[in-house]
Amino acid sequence: MQEEQRTEAEERLFDILVFLATSARGCIDEPPLYGPFRLVDALSRLIDVYGHVPGLKKDPFLTEIKAEIDGKKFLVMSDPEGFKRFLDELVRKFTVELKRRSGQRS
Amino acid sequence: MEVLEAIRGRRSIRKYKPQPIPDEVVEKILEAGRWAPSGGNIQPWIFIVVRDRATLEMIRKVSPGYLGTAPLAIVVCSDKQRAFQVGGRLGRDYMTIADCAMAVQNMLLAAYALGLGTCVVKSFSPIAVREILEIPDGIEPELIVVVGYPDERPVVPHRFSIEEITYLDKYGNKFVRKGP
Repeated sequence: MQEEQRTEAEERLFDILVFLATSARGCIDEPPLYGPFRLVDALSRLIDVYGHVPGLKKDPFLTEIKAEIDGKKFLVMSDPEGFKRFLDELVRKFTVELKRRSGQRS
Repeated sequence: MEVLEAIRGRRSIRKYKPQPIPDEVVEKILEAGRWAPSGGNIQPWIFIVVRDRATLEMIRKVSPGYLGTAPLAIVVCSDKQRAFQVGGRLGRDYMTIADCAMAVQNMLLAAYALGLGTCVVKSFSPIAVREILEIPDGIEPELIVVVGYPDERPVVPHRFSIEEITYLDKYGNKFVRKGP
């Protein structure tokens, strides 16, 4: 059988889709906070795709966000309140960036 | 290494060095697992050692709780059919889980004593793992033990004190520590 040829970007995206599918099923039985944990983990994995897809170049803001996620996502295990604060801060940073990209200053 | 030292020092590791694990070390970990206590001596556990890189990658991809890469994983399964034949519903529904958990703890401590890091993963898709490893009906994947040489030193997590989780003689009667 002829082996299918896939680009690195296609493989990376497929891996994320597998992660999302298995997470969706897992979240039915897992602790409630694992839902946000999986989402933020997926966010980090999606940012990883930048730079590997033609037309999607590495984004300094997202690179910084990914580093922050990877450094703080495990708070979910040890410090749920700290995890919530980290998510709040993440949303705030995204909003500031959204405004900047929309041409507005905060 | 003292057992108590291993119990207190072990941490869940999520960042590993790519360094392979020698066969004799893996065998020592498995040996520790098979000497775990077992209700009715059913020994329902079946260990699938996964070291093939492509298989390991597939397992990791269908396991959202499997974070980081490691050169080896042990998929701990239980033989539900045998457990039911010997131990009835109690054996099949409860003791398999307890027995596999005890086997896993033995393996975690042995691995730690051998200089390895581990992480127990329950957040995996049993359907997918069953498909990838061709696990037959009646055999249930219970836990995945990720094993590798640690590349991080996690912070010591919070633990409830003995007084917070212990009563003396009857529920609610305070247990007072006498030791340091």
